[in-house]
Amino acid sequence: MFKTNLMIMRRELGYMWRDRGLRNILLLGPLLGILLFAAIYSAQTITNIPTAIVDLDRSASSRDMAGKMENAPNLKVVSYLQSYEELEESIQQGIIVVGVLIPENFGRDVALHRHTRVLLIIDASNTIFATNASTAVLGVTRTLSAEIGVRTLLAQGMDPIKAKNMYVSLDLKEEGWFNPTLNYAYFLVLALALNIWQQCCSIAASINIIGETGVKSWLQIKAAGFSKIQLFVSKSIIHITVFMVMALLIYFIAFGIFKIPLACKLSTLLLFTLVFTVALHSIGTLMSSIAGNAVDSTRFSMMVALPSFVLSGYTWPIEAMPGFLQPVVWVIPQTWFFQGFNYLSFKNPGWQFMASYFWALIAFALICYSLATVITAWKER
Amino acid sequence: MSEQVLVEAKDLVQKFFFKTILNGVSLQAYAGECLGIFGLRGSGKTSLLHILAGVDRFSSGTVKVLGDDIKKSQLFKQRTGLVTQEPSLFQDLNVIENLDYIAALKNAGHADIERVIALMELHDSLRHPVTALDAGIYQRLSLACALLNSPQVLVVDELIKDIDLFSRHLIIKQLKPFLQSGGTCICGFSNIEMLIHTDRTGWLDNGRLEFYKPSDLREKWTTMLNSFQEPGDA
Amino acid sequence: MMKQIWNITHYELLHVFKDPILFIIVFITPIFYAGLFGTVYFSSILSNIPLAVVDQDNSTLSRDLRLAFANDHSFKIVPGADSYEAMETGMKDGTVRAGIVIPRDFEQSVKQGTSAQILSVYDASNLIWGFNSRKFIQEVINNFASHYTAEKLAGAGYTEHEIENVMNSVECNVTAWYNPNYSYANYIFMGLMMLVVHQIGLLGVCLAVTREKERNSWLQYIASSIPAWKISLGKCLPYLIANFFNYALLLWVSSRLVHIKIEGNILLMACLGLLYVSTITFAGYIVSIYSSNSLQATRYLMLLSVPLLMLSGYSWPRGYIPDILNSLALLFPSSWMLIGFRMVSIKNASWELLWPTLIALALMAVLTLYLALNFRKERKPENKHSLMVNSGLSYPRKINMLGALRQQLRASRF
Repeated sequence: MFKTNLMIMRRELGYMWRDRGLRNILLLGPLLGILLFAAIYSAQTITNIPTAIVDLDRSASSRDMAGKMENAPNLKVVSYLQSYEELEESIQQGIIVVGVLIPENFGRDVALHRHTRVLLIIDASNTIFATNASTAVLGVTRTLSAEIGVRTLLAQGMDPIKAKNMYVSLDLKEEGWFNPTLNYAYFLVLALALNIWQQCCSIAASINIIGETGVKSWLQIKAAGFSKIQLFVSKSIIHITVFMVMALLIYFIAFGIFKIPLACKLSTLLLFTLVFTVALHSIGTLMSSIAGNAVDSTRFSMMVALPSFVLSGYTWPIEAMPGFLQPVVWVIPQTWFFQGFNYLSFKNPGWQFMASYFWALIAFALICYSLATVITAWKER
Repeated sequence: MSEQVLVEAKDLVQKFFFKTILNGVSLQAYAGECLGIFGLRGSGKTSLLHILAGVDRFSSGTVKVLGDDIKKSQLFKQRTGLVTQEPSLFQDLNVIENLDYIAALKNAGHADIERVIALMELHDSLRHPVTALDAGIYQRLSLACALLNSPQVLVVDELIKDIDLFSRHLIIKQLKPFLQSGGTCICGFSNIEMLIHTDRTGWLDNGRLEFYKPSDLREKWTTMLNSFQEPGDA
Repeated sequence: MMKQIWNITHYELLHVFKDPILFIIVFITPIFYAGLFGTVYFSSILSNIPLAVVDQDNSTLSRDLRLAFANDHSFKIVPGADSYEAMETGMKDGTVRAGIVIPRDFEQSVKQGTSAQILSVYDASNLIWGFNSRKFIQEVINNFASHYTAEKLAGAGYTEHEIENVMNSVECNVTAWYNPNYSYANYIFMGLMMLVVHQIGLLGVCLAVTREKERNSWLQYIASSIPAWKISLGKCLPYLIANFFNYALLLWVSSRLVHIKIEGNILLMACLGLLYVSTITFAGYIVSIYSSNSLQATRYLMLLSVPLLMLSGYSWPRGYIPDILNSLALLFPSSWMLIGFRMVSIKNASWELLWPTLIALALMAVLTLYLALNFRKERKPENKHSLMVNSGLSYPRKINMLGALRQQLRASRF
């Protein structure tokens, strides 16, 4: 019997290799994915946000003001423009993200302690840029406000120490935990690559049952009286093994070559990935048992796989989704996986925390495989 | 031909929703005989043969193969072989891989593979993909796969239809020792030529099976054909 | 001349309506995804971020600061997370996403005029939490500092007007253009919708020819005298109409139901949509001509969405993507459309700024149209000598016995 199982596995491997489309997708898809995303996020952090200054005053005070913007962390002054209209166009075209407009007579008004206004414009159409730009600008404005306020009070004759004490001198020390450098590559590259990987695996898994029952050679298997459970279990083992080999390759590239940090042990992550792979394969198998042909089976599987990354809350948090949707997103195994992956790779919260994730994925697999078995048996009656 | 009944069907009914395909078919196939099932396209031959091979379910009746009620046990499949009308070998495998794989499914060994290769003279085609095979070689391969587990019951559908004469000759040649060794062959066909190779033949029409001696069946067939001729037809 | 094209269009449309799965893909799936993603991003702004406040000072001033955070809707103070250890545990298990640590000598330092250090921590394992927390913390701190100064000045006898003069002598007016609330939905949603149009557009039309090949009816087309361009136009027309309809419908749904900011020149949006949808439709048709079967076409096309979104510069800015990838991105209509659409709908850009996008999309539309209309009316002989599976004219499918029986019954009635 073991020899037969080996035979089935060998044939399945050959089948996957000989299906050129599947071969390309499984072997190349995830690898191309991680390389592409690593290249896209090669800049890794949001720094040097393109900033432009329109200095309509060109006084010492305005240059001082411009200097403060130049020294602001994460902002990079890339141009000095001549007018508001130029600034507006640059922002509209997306060349500039932060614009600073220093009005005419700025220096005079500052010297005379008259009210003057500096316009700081942030292009908020891309919130990744905008949130970071906003934080940088807020830091500048707080310090600037205090500085100029103190000067104004001094000019009004207030005692220097008293003037200084009017402003609370707060030194805000920031710490980004788990990803201290706020590295976008660490946050997204591997997750996106795994997203591509799980989509490719879904396509492959969706051929599990229909790939056998939808071809004429199914008659041979039926005529031989061979156990179908044995057949599909053997096929599934090969599928899952191939999926895991690709995951291993991705992890090697991510952790070994790109040096993406990993908080937990690699063995823990691999075990978690294995459990997810089984759950993922079970969905494909279920779809494969429901569909009447391989195209529909692929479509059904991808209907789950395609939106799953958005639904998983890996980027836009689950807690920010409407209350009624929050429990619903936990119905798909990808949510458990990507949430668990985030915890394991950044926080390593321990077995007690992660146990529920493992159990959920195992339960999912059991349910889907059972349903697939029942549906296939019913269809083959 | 002996008196031992290897395959028995009683009052077999096969319905598909509202359509009745087999309407109370009964038959007995004895050891050493080649039982023919003659029927035109759509008569239900393939359905009947697939039921006897245990690959299709049926609505009512009983079928016993090698003494086993096929609804209760699958063990009979260890001693049966099936050749289908539609190509049903593994298209992702070549000839030797098909033999290898199906042998594994049937628990046959390497010696059995070599035996059937020799029987069906497949030596020159072993590395060819099955999709590239001529019809005759494909059919020889199909029969070879069916014979891997040294079956006692052989169910074949359109065994020699539209294939080259050499393959036809080889296939028929191998049927004889099979029958002489006590096996039974149930053979579905729509071409009257196959009649000479059968011992008894049933005509399946409108879901009913009526048995004839081959000569009687041929006479009936000729009468029916002639009944459509009009005066003045060549 | 048009009669043949209308005939082909008619039968293609009939087929879409007869095939329930294709019908669902073309007409239902776009609205489904709009609804699904619209629901996900409905709140659009992060709020009630679970915050730990570790007050090691327990002074009046530190309590005021704590109150400032408690009163800000961006945060929700997590009860019980009031020690550093509790904050650490909460951050690890996700019950806390940001934290403020007010040091022991906070009030004293402020009173003495020395710099009072506050530690702000945020969960950077998810940079959406991280960046937003960081920004909101800055905002609260800034407001607190302003409020403190205003109170101090008031306490020193300054009038409201005088306080205003002192604090805003140089008023830094920070304005967020185009998306004043920093709505995440305004940022990402329409990008996703354009990709839905892209994917659904491709997945529908990519079966137009492969389906015929599998049924062997493609022979009828190529054996006839009808020119290739008529076949292509006839087959593409229903999908062109359906795809543009979906584009318009998604714009309406996004604007009216999900409340995404879609302003700008409607004609410009229509032009962009038309060019985009045309390019996709003809590109999908080309895939269908050259794919061996529906399974291959479907598999490859389904994987495009995520790479295209990331490559386009729509989410991760182009300025941070290597030039070679930016150049590669220019080859895809989605890259032009995503950025161009954002410029029109969010930034209200005019024709002058959009002309490069329009020209690029127009060129792509013309190129794909040309390739779609000019294919060789010949069949590549099937390679039966290879062991490749699922590469030929068939793929695994169970025979639909019930469907066949229904057809027989219908036929027998006539």
